[in-house]
Amino acid sequence: MTAVSRNSVSIAERFVRFRSEYIPDHILGELLAKRWMDNAIPFIVMVSSVALFSIINPNFLTAGGIFDLVQQLSEFGLIAMALGIVMLSGGIDLSIGMIYSLSVLTVLTCLNVLGLSFPASLAVTLAVGAICGSINGILIGYLRLRAFLTTLVMLIIYRSIYELSFPLVSNGIVMGSSGSSFWEYLSFATFLGLPIPAFVFAMIAIAFHVLLSRMRPGWHLIAVGGARRSAYNAGINVRFTLFATYMTSGILCSLAGTLFAARIGSTGADTGVGMEIAALTAVVLGGNSLGGGRGSIPKTIIGAVIFLILSNGLIRMAVPGPLSAMILGVTLIAGVYVDGRWVKHRAQILHKLYVSPTYFELPPAPNTDFGSSSVYAVNDELRTSEIIGLGQIEGPEDPLLDRDGNLYAGSRHGDIYRFFAPNFTTHEIFAHIGGHPLGMNFDRHGNLVTCVGGMGLFMVTPDKEVIKLTDETNRSRYSVIDDSRMRLPDDLDIAPDGRIFFSEATTRYDYVEWPLDSLEARGNGRIICYDPSNKTTRTVLRSLMFPNGICVMPDGLSLLFAETWGCRISRFWFDGPEKGKVERLIENLPGMPDNINRASDGNYWTTLVGMRTPALDVALTMPGFRRRMTKRMGPSNWLMPNINTGCVLKFSPRGEMLESLWDMGGVNHPMVTSVKEHKGYLYLGGISNNRIGRWKIPNADPNWSGPESYWGKLDA
Amino acid sequence: MGIDNPKRASFYNGLKGKRVIFIPIAMGLDITEAWYAGMKRQANDLGYSVEVRDPNASTEMGIRAMTSAIADRADLIVLHNPDLQSYAKLIRRARDAGIKVLQLNMEALQSSDSYVGGDWVKVGEQSTEVLAKTCAPGRGSSNKIAFVTGTPTGAITVYALRGMSIALTRHPEIKLVAVQAGNYDPVKEKSITATILQQHPDLCGIMGIWDLSDTGIGSAVVEAGKASQVNVLTVGPGSKTSCDNIHKGIFSTIVNYNLAAQVNVLNQQITELLLSPDKAGSTQTSYFSPLTVVTKSNATGRNCWTMEDFR
Repeated sequence: MTAVSRNSVSIAERFVRFRSEYIPDHILGELLAKRWMDNAIPFIVMVSSVALFSIINPNFLTAGGIFDLVQQLSEFGLIAMALGIVMLSGGIDLSIGMIYSLSVLTVLTCLNVLGLSFPASLAVTLAVGAICGSINGILIGYLRLRAFLTTLVMLIIYRSIYELSFPLVSNGIVMGSSGSSFWEYLSFATFLGLPIPAFVFAMIAIAFHVLLSRMRPGWHLIAVGGARRSAYNAGINVRFTLFATYMTSGILCSLAGTLFAARIGSTGADTGVGMEIAALTAVVLGGNSLGGGRGSIPKTIIGAVIFLILSNGLIRMAVPGPLSAMILGVTLIAGVYVDGRWVKHRAQILHKLYVSPTYFELPPAPNTDFGSSSVYAVNDELRTSEIIGLGQIEGPEDPLLDRDGNLYAGSRHGDIYRFFAPNFTTHEIFAHIGGHPLGMNFDRHGNLVTCVGGMGLFMVTPDKEVIKLTDETNRSRYSVIDDSRMRLPDDLDIAPDGRIFFSEATTRYDYVEWPLDSLEARGNGRIICYDPSNKTTRTVLRSLMFPNGICVMPDGLSLLFAETWGCRISRFWFDGPEKGKVERLIENLPGMPDNINRASDGNYWTTLVGMRTPALDVALTMPGFRRRMTKRMGPSNWLMPNINTGCVLKFSPRGEMLESLWDMGGVNHPMVTSVKEHKGYLYLGGISNNRIGRWKIPNADPNWSGPESYWGKLDA
Repeated sequence: MGIDNPKRASFYNGLKGKRVIFIPIAMGLDITEAWYAGMKRQANDLGYSVEVRDPNASTEMGIRAMTSAIADRADLIVLHNPDLQSYAKLIRRARDAGIKVLQLNMEALQSSDSYVGGDWVKVGEQSTEVLAKTCAPGRGSSNKIAFVTGTPTGAITVYALRGMSIALTRHPEIKLVAVQAGNYDPVKEKSITATILQQHPDLCGIMGIWDLSDTGIGSAVVEAGKASQVNVLTVGPGSKTSCDNIHKGIFSTIVNYNLAAQVNVLNQQITELLLSPDKAGSTQTSYFSPLTVVTKSNATGRNCWTMEDFR
């Protein structure tokens, strides 16, 4: 009976295992996290409206239909872009239609009435657009008036100017004609089967796309739109950025007006009327956020195409005018609604889909019972430690001692502290880095090299100069997320030739989100090598389960690394005849190993940052359960490793476990993340502790120190 | 009994399945609804189709409607121009695409296969003559008249102004004190008229160009208490509503351009253009509908149509 049920469980389990191994669920979340996913819904709407209207109207996708669409897009797309960039800056411009109509009037007056050349007319027209836009820009950017009301008033004013000047020149516009041959060319000629304005539009669209997505002014604009105060605090000239945005918007409108004037050759009493609503509909349908900060040129163009297809389709279907105006209005409201929902829930949806636990089975954990004969038997050895820097430091992940016995430790405030030997009662801020320094070691020249969470690999010279070594590695070929930037560099060690090997615990989560990575239990981490000789950074080993401690072996060819969620320690040959080989040295630890460092007797120290629990072990074989847990419960209720205890382990280079030292219940040192041996003492760090511990090692070499072990004695 | 008329087959077969697209300035106006109803009645009878594409008083949408009608390869486009130029290039494009265009009542500078509608120069001339008569020295409160036009670039305004100046050269005693664009907006026309009346309290005659929006002129005159002093002349297709406005004292005179005649000729032109093997643009015909001056005395009967007359 037991056998049967065991068997059926194992079939189910095999399925779960197979599923989590071969179906890459996590890619869905990574795709959703992409910025361009914002375009997905508008793009689908565009494709389906094209499909719908080409079924309704067979002429729609003919060359002529596309020609007309492209021609209209050249003008309307510019208007939509004019509004789009303003909305990206967090504002709105209701006067665009009127700037447009003033521009139509200006260019026709210049050409047909005043008889100016085309370049002169274009210059005057663009100047009119720039002036109108600048007025908006000054009022909104510099005088800080509300965009909505200001541009509404400017709409009326620009409209009045139009209505006052229109009758004065209308006869001349209608009866006159331009002598400019280029003007005729612009209105009639085609190139590659498409109207000339389409190429003008395409060039401008590409230029603005590059400007917005790749260049400083565009980034400033998006920053201002996203969070005006933060942009100001970051040193961005908010007022000028807003001013420039409105001015640019005005110029785009006048360009659209010029193209319209070229196509139609006239202007009417209602030119530009209602254009702002049409453009607003297009911009919102494209998925640009009403609140600013989220949007792009491709989105705006997609929105403009949807709007044109929809409104043209309604005309063709002989829908009565007022009804089609109403349909377009409802579309705008729907777009605004979806935009609001999307902005509000995107993070939540993403969060629910992003976490993708996988199947991981561990053998039963070794015995840690108090008083048992197990090497892992719990004891209270570490209770006798002295405490250094109590309350003065927060989060000394990995303590470090120099040749003079001074003690260094990172803090979560982004500093490196130096406690002075011999009694560590005084300290200084050795360096300020800005991110939490994690693993630390000295190189041959006495530079302090450290992995900084969320930032990268940094170096502090003995003169306290902070130098960034690297924060970028080669991007994996098939990775959906851009894994070239480092998110969580963790521990490092330095090979005799100066190469720095460091672990990046996970490429899928940020520094503070490590519990999510633990629930995924996937190989999301990697080991990276930085070579100071040519300043290159390459990933040398991938798909590791939260790689953490790194310790170069004295052979200079291999290193030990700990995989925290894998509860194992392995050896990796980065050089020599066995280059590339990975050997599992210790598997099935009773907890999650953290940093690894050398001991004076040729063995290695490691720590257990958290203890396995039977419930957690079972949960690791139930990916669905863990997924539901992250979806339905708050983080404080998730199953987590037991971090309320401190454990230090010593093991031999061949992987034999030699001894374990505990602070059961974590009275002095819970969650020990690293230990460093120095002159007969063991220094204990903890990423969430407010102290460093110092524990006398029985019978240890009182003269052994890390820097000496790595780089030898200093020549006197 | 009898013999079959051999022309019947080619007439009916030639029309069957043809497609006419009607692009008005906007539907929902008495005149556009009446045209459409008239066209539709004959189309249903003869087996061709008339589709309406309603730009809803937006030139931009009208341009798009025209563009799509060309792309849809209609057999004939019946076009109601908002102004002289906006559709001009598109009319040429339609012609080049082999599509015939009939312009209705409001022309573009670009002529096409046919025009059916008012002779606006004559309208301007005749209207001015009417006002000149009432405001002749010794007859009216003064010799001052004013003109509230439609859109400044519309055919109606441009041509009517021409007709007015022709008439004024015959009547140097009449003074045209104001010409302002009302853009077919009754609210705007009302405020323009109120201003003119303040500047010229002794105004004798005022002319509008479209009876639907000129109610603005009439009501401004009534509100100023000058209904007996100012001759409010409007121009229109002469629906019963406008006749009623004469009886209410809002208008004094309507220069009626005879919608019934327009609809009949329009339908004749449609069949002729659909049947003719000639290429688009090869012939250009015009029909100017007759004008009737309607005042209180003759604002009845066939001078006052209702929608039912065209259905």
